Amino acid sequence: MESLGASLSEVTVRFGGQVAVDALSLDIHPGRVHAIVGENGAGKSTAVNVLFGLIPPSEGEVRIGGAVRRLRSPRDAIDAGLGMVHQHFTLVDSMSVLENVVLCAEPDAGGGLVDFAAARAELVRLAERHGIRVDPDARVAQLSFGARQNVEIVKALYRDARLLVLDEPTAVLTPREIEALFAMLRRLRDAGRAIVLITHKLDEVLAIADQVSVLRKGRLVASRTLAADMDAGARRELRDALGREIVGGELPTPLMRDPRPRGEVVMRATGLSGRAGAMRLGPLQLALHAGEILAVAGVAGNGQDALVRALVGLEPRAVSGRLTLAGRDVTAAGVAQRRALGLCYVPEDRQRAGLALQATVAENASVGRLGGAGFARGPFLGRGHMRRFAESLIRRYRIGVRGPRARARTMSGGNQQKLVVARELELGGVVTIVENPTWGVDIGAIATVHRELMAMRDAGQAILLVSSELDEVLALADRTLVMSGGAVVAEFDRDDTTRQQLGAAMIGGGGSVAA
Amino acid sequence: MTAAVVVRALRRAAGVTVPLALLAWLLIALAGAPPGEAIDAFLRGAFGGRRHAYLLSTLSRAGLIVGMAMAAWLSFRAGLFNIGGEGQLVLGGLAAAVVAVHAPGPAPLVMAWAVLAAMAAGACWAMLAGALELAAGVPLLIGSLLLNYPASFFASWVVGHPLRDLASGLPQTDLIVNERWLPNFPGTRLDIGVAVIAIVTIAVIAYGATTTHGLRARLNGLSPAFARASGFPVRRLALQTLAGSGALAGLVGALAVLGLHHRYSDGMLVQPLYAWTGIVAVLLVALVPWAVPLAGFFFAALATGAAGMERTAEVPREIALILQAAIILFVAGYTARSVPGARDDGDAH
Repeated sequence: MESLGASLSEVTVRFGGQVAVDALSLDIHPGRVHAIVGENGAGKSTAVNVLFGLIPPSEGEVRIGGAVRRLRSPRDAIDAGLGMVHQHFTLVDSMSVLENVVLCAEPDAGGGLVDFAAARAELVRLAERHGIRVDPDARVAQLSFGARQNVEIVKALYRDARLLVLDEPTAVLTPREIEALFAMLRRLRDAGRAIVLITHKLDEVLAIADQVSVLRKGRLVASRTLAADMDAGARRELRDALGREIVGGELPTPLMRDPRPRGEVVMRATGLSGRAGAMRLGPLQLALHAGEILAVAGVAGNGQDALVRALVGLEPRAVSGRLTLAGRDVTAAGVAQRRALGLCYVPEDRQRAGLALQATVAENASVGRLGGAGFARGPFLGRGHMRRFAESLIRRYRIGVRGPRARARTMSGGNQQKLVVARELELGGVVTIVENPTWGVDIGAIATVHRELMAMRDAGQAILLVSSELDEVLALADRTLVMSGGAVVAEFDRDDTTRQQLGAAMIGGGGSVAA
Repeated sequence: MTAAVVVRALRRAAGVTVPLALLAWLLIALAGAPPGEAIDAFLRGAFGGRRHAYLLSTLSRAGLIVGMAMAAWLSFRAGLFNIGGEGQLVLGGLAAAVVAVHAPGPAPLVMAWAVLAAMAAGACWAMLAGALELAAGVPLLIGSLLLNYPASFFASWVVGHPLRDLASGLPQTDLIVNERWLPNFPGTRLDIGVAVIAIVTIAVIAYGATTTHGLRARLNGLSPAFARASGFPVRRLALQTLAGSGALAGLVGALAVLGLHHRYSDGMLVQPLYAWTGIVAVLLVALVPWAVPLAGFFFAALATGAAGMERTAEVPREIALILQAAIILFVAGYTARSVPGARDDGDAH
């Protein structure tokens, strides 16, 4: 295999009047893992999208294998030897792994037919050589996120990608899957491929990167080589230094937790059961107290989604059992009635369920209050009031956006999430259901979201936190329920929870988990 | 920078107009008419005439098209693909004619009843399509389309049999008595229906931009998952929006009956393609509401101009129809990229 490096030199990207990437130079060398870190909107994704031919640079040039290239499309990038694994997978769910891998690179058997036998042989050979576990005949829809990621990587290798870009590859993986991914990436690196890793997690950077570049506001603020043999002290120091460079100042102070007695039960589910696709939910019992954060942990896809839908009231008719909220029976109530009783909800899918991306920030911010004083005068909207309210959210939660009139889609993912969280938290409900609130969110925003959740708990609100991030659960939860196969399989109190126990319960009780 | 933008816009506009002009020239030449004369006839047919008679007829048609376009806009912006405007229009026109011909009472009262009956008929027909989706899972796109046919056939039967105008022998209702007609603008032969449409259009745009209901409906259209998670009454919103859309279509039918034709005759609201032209007009401007009246006027001018061309230059109307289709195809690609606010819905605030 011929090794391949790439570089950006003095690349600037402007969107309208905004500079997303500012005179950025980066060198990517074969046989190394190059991590790119930075807050949301720092320009990480834009930079690799330039490299991958998805965004033309306004200024500067892209070199691939030493030669200046003007890539016009991902197709060009793939032909040049680049491969990209996007944060949101780009696989066809209804097709098999093999079909997905060969899609648009089908070996020709003549007469317009696809030579699937040759493709299968090549796929199996690649998988074996790099130690990647894939079943060519499995349907993508049935695979876990980790397995789908493997398919994406094999897909890139099948196209002979010698420079592989991974955008937040660990966001949806279990600890064990992350270990396996890193082992695979190390093998690919040792075989001479260049790996670019975009991530928010500094522990991952320290675990795998050979070089790390920090971006802030579109500029490169630091780029350093990592020594393989750092001791624990040096690691901690480096980690803190990176953190400071990312936020451009001091790191947010660690979360403080005041012990406090929990209050009365504000939400109680008895014998709650329903369906979640092919999986049965429950029957399960759940009691959520005022002034506590109850976490629901588990590997994604184990019924958490169905549980949230049942609790929020998105499908009240599909659920049996009994559910009370603030002392009222809400088993048959819809979302509106439950919200009126003080339910708030931060959905996992912020781009579809959390926001209307084409609507403005002010409209999105005001959505739960449209009947309220100031927000409406009779049937008419109080546009001025909506704008001022949005402005206050933007200021207090430090949401990065042009202003209340900007459309929600113009914000970066982390800022979109801040807006959703800010809106729901400002409602100050009795019960707030929060679903993976920090997926794809940067350090600063994570700290904001966590601090707000803790402040709400301290103010006596009840929070149900559904999360597949162990760190988040450990940092926030007073109690933790672990879901597996649609049922609650374990419950932990804060004081006797360890990472290992939680991880083991998440994957079905067997053995300990490397973390 | 700006010069480059202007050049690009000009080049794009040329990319649309040059092939269209060539096509028009070719079609007119095929029909065997001198192009200059045909175009002159077209322009006079659309905007000229003695005392601007043709311009007034273009305006009258534009009113009906814009009314139907706003009816479509109202539902499209809420993510509801109600393409059953034609059925709602026909039932509205029929209801208005039946009331105006047969109801006793003072003229203004009867006319008010006729309009209300028309709006109720259109609203019910649109809500039926919505109810079919909510209760039986028939997609609105299909349900609303298919409900056009029973509406048309029912209207044909009514004016063909029980309520036929026996004197004329044609499939139409009796003529509405003179005092129950919509008045004309003084000194013209244009009825005030177009003014009613103008007021309603402004009201509908204001509804979309300034009311809570309008915002909720739009957000529901932008993301149904978001609307549900926010606790909007999504089913009620959909039915109410459809009712509004259908009522507007029914109103257009009533205005055509009371102002233009003074009776309901079979096919009079279907053949001119008011409803479909309205849908095309609203899609052409990518749901940007302020541009809808312009698009409606444009299509009305095309139709009346074509009629004029047929009368004086003997270019068959079908040529104009082909040209109209070509214009729609070319312009659709052009406006989708260049109307300010296109693709985003117009009312950002």
